[in-house]
Amino acid sequence: MIRFRNLAFGLLLPLVAVLVFAVLLTFSLIRMLEVENAMRVGAEKNMLWVFHQSEVAARRLTETAALVGLGEADTEELSLQFDILKSRVAILNDGPQRRFVEEIGYDDELDRIAAALEAMTPVVADFSPGEGARLRDALKPAAGFFGRAANKAMIAEWNDLGGRLETYRAQLRQIILFLIGIMAAGGILAATLIGALRQTHQRNLMLRQSRDFSALLISSSGEGILAVDRDGRCTLWNDAMAGLIGKSAEQATGRPLAELAGFFGIAPLQVGVARALEGESSELVQHPLFHQEATEPRYVDLRFFPMRNDGEVIGAILFLHDATDRHAAQKREAQDRDRLEELVAERTRDLDDALQRERSAADLYRNFAAMVSHQFRTPLAVADSALQRLIRRGPRAEPDEVVERANRARNAIAGLTRLVESTLDVARLDAGQLGARRVRCALADIVRTVCTRQRDADPARTIRILEPPEDSDAVFCDPAHAEQMLENLLSNAFKYAPAGSPVSICVHGDRQNLFCDVHNKGDPIPEEERDLIFNRNYRGANSTGSAGTGLGLFMARTLARMQGGDLTLQPTGDGVTFRMILPRFDPSST
Amino acid sequence: MLTRTARLVAALLLMGGAALAGPEDVILEVTGDIADGTAKFDREALQALPQVTLETSTVVTDGTHSFTGFLMRDLLDRLGAEGEHVIATALNDYVVEIPMSDFSEFDVIVAYSMDGKPLRRNDKGPLWIVYPRDAHEALQDIRYDYRWVWQLSRLEVQ
Repeated sequence: MIRFRNLAFGLLLPLVAVLVFAVLLTFSLIRMLEVENAMRVGAEKNMLWVFHQSEVAARRLTETAALVGLGEADTEELSLQFDILKSRVAILNDGPQRRFVEEIGYDDELDRIAAALEAMTPVVADFSPGEGARLRDALKPAAGFFGRAANKAMIAEWNDLGGRLETYRAQLRQIILFLIGIMAAGGILAATLIGALRQTHQRNLMLRQSRDFSALLISSSGEGILAVDRDGRCTLWNDAMAGLIGKSAEQATGRPLAELAGFFGIAPLQVGVARALEGESSELVQHPLFHQEATEPRYVDLRFFPMRNDGEVIGAILFLHDATDRHAAQKREAQDRDRLEELVAERTRDLDDALQRERSAADLYRNFAAMVSHQFRTPLAVADSALQRLIRRGPRAEPDEVVERANRARNAIAGLTRLVESTLDVARLDAGQLGARRVRCALADIVRTVCTRQRDADPARTIRILEPPEDSDAVFCDPAHAEQMLENLLSNAFKYAPAGSPVSICVHGDRQNLFCDVHNKGDPIPEEERDLIFNRNYRGANSTGSAGTGLGLFMARTLARMQGGDLTLQPTGDGVTFRMILPRFDPSST
Repeated sequence: MLTRTARLVAALLLMGGAALAGPEDVILEVTGDIADGTAKFDREALQALPQVTLETSTVVTDGTHSFTGFLMRDLLDRLGAEGEHVIATALNDYVVEIPMSDFSEFDVIVAYSMDGKPLRRNDKGPLWIVYPRDAHEALQDIRYDYRWVWQLSRLEVQ
């Protein structure tokens, strides 16, 4: 609404005023030209004077005729006066005058007078004093006629003059009205002009103020600010920019950017400026800025904006914000974060280990309970039934039978003991209590010891030992652990081998390690189980029905690795071969 | 500029012509500030002056007419007239004062014939001061119109 009113007053009013001004001026000019024309065109008739002169001439002629009669004037004088009167009549009969006479309706009378004069001409030409009276009679009506005509002419002329003056007055009044209108329109125009001038002045003042303010902002800004024109020449360069680049505003203004510092010559900056000149804003974050002498670069954020005037890009403006501190802080932060992550990972690992141990313990107890219910029942039943028999037989029992039954019971109890021990071993292992006391020992001796023990326990077992052809069989390990591993492997081998089939042990090696391969002729372990069998509490698909804790291979591998060796399942097509790997004894390492 | 001697000679020559005319034939008398008091002219003497023809309309007649006569300034120059005004008098004692400048600015003539016919005393003759009204807009003004003296009989240079 206000806007509309402003528009109406700002534009419509002056336009209307100009229109009114022009129209009124045109009408006034037309009117004035009409008046001017009316005043100029048409010769002024002065019939009153003509009639008066005619009357005078007539009276003079009459007078002269009388004087001639008295002898006081000559005929020449009479002739002259007669001619003068005739010339008057002639004038009255000339175009314009004749028309006037006709207008006032005196033409007939004029004709009569002209005829009378014509008739008198010969009389005057040859005048004798006796004819004076005749001439006077002939002229008598002339003077009266001219007098009346003069009277009428005066009235007619005054009427005409009055009418014309009235017309002029009316036209002048109209012109005066027009002029008043023109003055009003002019006044409005002048007022509008003054208003516009004042507004312009005010706007200029505001513009100047805002320009000064902008200049103050630019000069006091902590950001480096520069502007370039369309040709890429610097037009503005504030103090902060001088501080960043090392060139003063006087040095920079009017020169191409690339000449000011190498920094402005690099591709991303030139692209940014070029895009801004095409009307597109852009920014570069944490761009390194190498100062002339400083080795460490400063890091700056750059923002490019187009400068527009009436929609046309007239240059570009570039803001440089010193982000060195922020950059350093971010770098520090990243380092801190990395360190923290590392720490967290370490802690997590520790926690995972602890959790694992915790879980193992829980598993152990759970498994132990399951095992007790499952594995312990059979040997207990065996021992129980052997002892019941012995009791039932009582004194009737043969000594051999007693021994045999007692041994069976004892074997069953020994098996139980082993189960308990191996379970405890794993528990100790989990708790980290099982330390390896590694010493130099002969692998062949360990193999022999274990084989002997196995044969003693069950003479039916056939173990073939393929002796190594090598000179040294010295390994660096805990002999107790080595025996336990081997025992595990052997009992497993017998457990899963067809009854009565032999188990062979082959010792060989390479430069680093000695290998002890334990081979049986059992069914090959399915591919999907090969990795799983080393897991704690894992029992293979073929283990159903046989006693076991699922801990043997896990325990053996763990022990082997504690010695710096390993336990692997060899990929053989014929039977199953487990390989115990133990490091050779190296005198220099102890 | 004519020397005084030349003027005198011219005046004497003119007066010599005028002297031949009888007193009743004199149609123009020039008095006042001229070389020798009074000069009188008959029609013949005036026709001896360089003849000029002028086409113009008048305020008392219809249409344009051809006027033949002589330039007023020719006459005044020959008479050695020196003054600001010329007072022209007609036969009926109509008197008008004409500024001398009119004759230098405009080709004002003293006509003795109109449309090839001599102007007569019982019409607008014998002499009629005619301004070139149609040639100059400034002359289309009643303040000039009253200087058209007909039945001119006397000029007085002041």
